[in-house]
Amino acid sequence: METLGSDEIIVERALTGDADAFGELVRRWERRIFALAYGMLGREEDARDATQETFLAAFRNLRGFRGEAKVSSWLHRIAVNQCISRQRRTKVRSESALEDEQENAACSFAAPFSQSPAHVAEDRQETLAVRRAINSLPIDLRQVVVMKEFEELTFREIADALDLPLSTVKSRLYTALKQLQMRLQKFESRN
Amino acid sequence: MKETPDCERASDLIAFLYNEADERERRDFQLHLNECGTCREEVASFGVVRESITAWRDEALAGFVSQPIATNRRSALAALRQFFDLSPLWLKGVTAFAVLAFCVLAAMVFVNSQSGNVQVSSSSNGARYTQDDVNRMVKEALAKQENAKPGVETPRETVAVVESPKPKKSRNSTASQLAKRPLSRAEREQLAADLRLLSTGDDATLQLIGDRINQ
Repeated sequence: METLGSDEIIVERALTGDADAFGELVRRWERRIFALAYGMLGREEDARDATQETFLAAFRNLRGFRGEAKVSSWLHRIAVNQCISRQRRTKVRSESALEDEQENAACSFAAPFSQSPAHVAEDRQETLAVRRAINSLPIDLRQVVVMKEFEELTFREIADALDLPLSTVKSRLYTALKQLQMRLQKFESRN
Repeated sequence: MKETPDCERASDLIAFLYNEADERERRDFQLHLNECGTCREEVASFGVVRESITAWRDEALAGFVSQPIATNRRSALAALRQFFDLSPLWLKGVTAFAVLAFCVLAAMVFVNSQSGNVQVSSSSNGARYTQDDVNRMVKEALAKQENAKPGVETPRETVAVVESPKPKKSRNSTASQLAKRPLSRAEREQLAADLRLLSTGDDATLQLIGDRINQ
């Protein structure tokens, strides 16, 4: 992984008119920002759009970056805001839509040779259940758990990105895991 | 919905679970786990939840392909190679012929631009001579004739007649002085003989207009 100091240098280069510098920043962070957006939004298309919007917003506000926070924290903050505003703009997917998708996923299933079809179907059901459980979390809990699990940020990095105290990050993460545990237990008991 | 921790050490539990506790905190919480059944259960169940999230994350991100921000600039050679790979045979032939014709034309233009002197004559065998070559050959011919006829004065002004419009300065001044002086009869005869315009036998009967003018 590149050092965070390098990101600041890249931003400085971009500010001095280096056309390739911002592209380097995008290449470095797009996967992680996509992961965050995917975890927050739950759909690949939405995640791609949100990722693009994040970097577009970052580019537009590049001159507003004063170096008080790390570039990564700055990008994550933009990404979280983009995801939240995107969810507000578009209707959050309903449970019925998710169930339709679940059926479609089961129909389009193609079993690899190494696993039995029953096993693959079971895994798919489980991942869908996790996705539904995360989607049902309140946004403040969801963003913390996604930043931790999808992006593997440290508590300090999450706190910096969300401008929260470290203790709040930990308590939110505990609450999120507790709620996810209960939802997944319900899913297992139904099946 | 706010979940109230059953144990007051929820914060330590999270740090322990995500390996963000330092060595001392880790040992301390390990000792706590031996005594607290609630925390033990939560560590186990949260671990299962994390595994499920990781499985979903890996599946979700497996299909992620980075979109190229800017394509790398290819060299002209690579672009040409791709063009020839994709184009049909007839197009390759036409292109090769056009390139060859262009090269020949460019070479001809280059050669012409490099030769500063004007080419004034060409022989039947294709040899070409410049103005300097012609002057030099005339001088050599005159010198030979002078050697063959030591009693006859060779008119030096003939050099001035065939020389280029801008010869060297010293020679030009001498030639201009000679050109201003009218030719004597002997000089005209010698000049005619040199240029082989007249036979020596006709010289006596020939009435030249210049004789009267020059007198």
